[in-house]
Amino acid sequence: MAEHGGSHGGIARTSRERTASERQADLDRIARYRALEDEIRTRVAASGDSAAAVDLFHLTSKLLRLNPEYYTIWNVRRRSLTSGLLSRRSAACSPSRASLSGSRTATTTPPSASSSSTSSTATPHDQPSPTAGRSGTLVDDNDGKKDAELLEGELRFTFPLLLESPKCYWLWNYRLWILGQAIERLPTAAARRMWEDELGLASKMLTKDQRNFHAWGYRRHVVNQLESPALGGSSMVEAEFAYTDRMTRANLSNFSAWHRRSKLIPRLLDERGADDLTRKSFLDQELGTVNQLLSVDPKDQSLWYYHQFLMLNLLSPVGRPTITPAFSLEDRLSYIMREIEGIKDLLESYEDEELDDDDRDAVKQIYKALLDYTLALCQLEGRQPDGQERELVAGWLRELRVLDPMRDGRWTDLERDYGLRG
Amino acid sequence: MESLSDTLWDVVICGTGLQQSLLALSLSRSGKNILHIDPNEYYGGPDAAFSLQEAEAWVDRLADPSTANRGFRSASVTRPEGSTGLSFPRAYSIALSPQLIHSRSKLLSQLVSSRAYRQVEFLAVGSFFVFNPAPGPDQKPSLARIPSTREDIGFDTTIPLKGKRSLMKFLKFVQDYQSEASTEIWKPYADSPLTDFLQKHFKIDAQLQTYIIALTLSLDGKITTQDGLAILFRHLTSMGLFGLGFAAVYPKWGGISEIAQVACRAGAVGGAVYMLGTGIKTHESMGDELQLHLSNGETVKAKKLVRSSDSVGEPGISRLVAIVGSTLNGQFEALVEGAPQPAVSVIAFPSGSLHTSAGKVSEYPVHMTAHSSDTGECPVGQSILYLTTVATANSKELLKNALDAFLEAMDEDPRPQTLFELYYEQTKGAGESTKDGAIFNLPGPSLSPCFDDAVLDPVQEAWKEVLGEVDTEYMTFTDREGVTDEDEMYD
Repeated sequence: MAEHGGSHGGIARTSRERTASERQADLDRIARYRALEDEIRTRVAASGDSAAAVDLFHLTSKLLRLNPEYYTIWNVRRRSLTSGLLSRRSAACSPSRASLSGSRTATTTPPSASSSSTSSTATPHDQPSPTAGRSGTLVDDNDGKKDAELLEGELRFTFPLLLESPKCYWLWNYRLWILGQAIERLPTAAARRMWEDELGLASKMLTKDQRNFHAWGYRRHVVNQLESPALGGSSMVEAEFAYTDRMTRANLSNFSAWHRRSKLIPRLLDERGADDLTRKSFLDQELGTVNQLLSVDPKDQSLWYYHQFLMLNLLSPVGRPTITPAFSLEDRLSYIMREIEGIKDLLESYEDEELDDDDRDAVKQIYKALLDYTLALCQLEGRQPDGQERELVAGWLRELRVLDPMRDGRWTDLERDYGLRG
Repeated sequence: MESLSDTLWDVVICGTGLQQSLLALSLSRSGKNILHIDPNEYYGGPDAAFSLQEAEAWVDRLADPSTANRGFRSASVTRPEGSTGLSFPRAYSIALSPQLIHSRSKLLSQLVSSRAYRQVEFLAVGSFFVFNPAPGPDQKPSLARIPSTREDIGFDTTIPLKGKRSLMKFLKFVQDYQSEASTEIWKPYADSPLTDFLQKHFKIDAQLQTYIIALTLSLDGKITTQDGLAILFRHLTSMGLFGLGFAAVYPKWGGISEIAQVACRAGAVGGAVYMLGTGIKTHESMGDELQLHLSNGETVKAKKLVRSSDSVGEPGISRLVAIVGSTLNGQFEALVEGAPQPAVSVIAFPSGSLHTSAGKVSEYPVHMTAHSSDTGECPVGQSILYLTTVATANSKELLKNALDAFLEAMDEDPRPQTLFELYYEQTKGAGESTKDGAIFNLPGPSLSPCFDDAVLDPVQEAWKEVLGEVDTEYMTFTDREGVTDEDEMYD
């Protein structure tokens, strides 16, 4: 498979001995590639954009199959579409679908542009209003159907290329551009179907590589679009929350899934109209789950991350969306103390045991958590650690110095914070 | 056309069971003259798959002393009264060897390196369950899913915390069991039952012990520590190898029989001559050669003969195959996001979980695999159950009880009915291959519920016998011409 185009996931090709015929075959392939490239460039240079769009289009197909990273050619392809193959849209391209999108226009603009940090260059939403649907009544049905076929064809074209080069930015950008064109040119229902399929594709990418954070970012963007008025959407927070359930069930260490979950919770609870009691039992359930998982694998950093997220809800609820805004200081203190006791219990299974590397990792995490939360507890109460706490902390720091000597400086700093030095 | 007797065959292979078929595959590029015969009118021998009609004919032949064979006995078919919904006979494919194959198994890597894998469709084997008898008189029995991954254990709500931790420790130990440090720990227990090791070293309680023993699929439930660790290692390292959420695969259309057929096909493409309905009546040596008198009256000359040993006749396993008029919801769920839907589930009835009407408790486990219609072995809307246990005086009754208990545990209303039941006993084969001059006798098939890689060694031995000293790698071929074509893209 060494001669196909595209990036192989960034794996460098090792050089190998070639026979004379293999070398000649390679030279032939290079010659054909170069010829193709020259032809495209010549045509584009000669007659600008309106060059026999169809022929140019097919030439770009060939070249892009060989090298999907050649971004200039993607632009040539875009231009052939907009200047020739896709139906002409009148200059008076006003959003005439106000009636359908009416009630939702008042809500906050879908954060599509700002959240697409991974799809920066080719974001299609240059229009002031994202509510554009089919471009007015000046385009007839036939053109609409033709456009739909073309756009869907483009998605089909890029799909096998994606399978070969799943990390090629230009492919993903192009798909987003096509999908953006779908919003502009097609009836909402048709565009929506394409975006829904795209969500399916994003899910597939995530099952192939569960922790690909680009794929998570892409998914976020697609969901945002599907929720937006431009696609006649409504909130998908419940489905997305359930998705993080399934992803963490498949792999506890999926940091991205836990992270996404944490970001969905504020809106989830809002939309559920959760009252204080419901919020409290939600927090109980989440804490219960993560503690249950931590007791099985206290080494896992993603789990500790999520536990910390939940703890921050209790420790510093001011100025950020909180799960339990109605908790009094007392409530929060009692939860935090209970959590600290629970984490101490985790140490039990490591007593009188020979520790291997994994065990040491686990124990390290446990001590760190205990230190962080004990300090935070004191700060919350606006006091210094008392005698008993200082003894415990001193003990944990001693252990940590042995387990993690490379972070000696940090343990020294912590000792100072606790007033245990000098 | 040359007659068979004109050729001096490099090897005559008798029988088209898995081992002989794999031998044909391994020799398919060697250019040797191969005559591959089978006294049955079908491929697969003891690993064959039958339609309902073929199964009934097979049962009849076994009952007839003139056609009985020592490998199988006590066979019977039951069509329960009043049951409806049985489809036409060819809608079913009952596998005599419904073994599941771990993803790490050498069989699969041989199928890949020999390029034969392309013709077999593999399905995922999903959940493993343990059967729990009804706790009280008015209650139902149930199935508990066996956790074998970190996530399974983490999210399980039935295992107490201490148990989870020891289970995690043990699974971690298994992954590393071949290291020096770990070997020192389990070596003293090597020939003792695995349960001892679990109890004494990991303090794992009896309940969790049954989970672990069930994962080993040990026929007699008394697997040693050494063997148990090996098979658990294979299970754990197979998990996720070919895709999310499964550790073993099952060939569509009849299990091992499909692999035997594909291997024979490869043999035929390589030039071997195939003759069904032909066996060897008698044979004698003539110097370096063998004279084989075939059942069709012809006599052929061969340099070597490879066949399977006669069965020793000792009781081996009892098997009950039941076609059920239900899709057995819950048995074939993909539990992991993105995992393929399984077509097979495994249910272990631990020793002591079943009893006869006379009150005798089961001494050995019963292993059951449930196959959905995705296996192609039954029509949509039905399932096939394969129950296996060590053959004893009570085994037939225990298998029937296990079947009933399982259907009870399914908790469907109305209770699923069986439409067709096939019972038989399979005897133990000779444990090892033997050589008798120019005759190579392969040992009999393995009776284990999961494929045993040891079955492959005698095939390689036979291959060496036929080819002599050669430089070629075993079971490693390149694709034949026309199979792949990379250059189309450039046109």
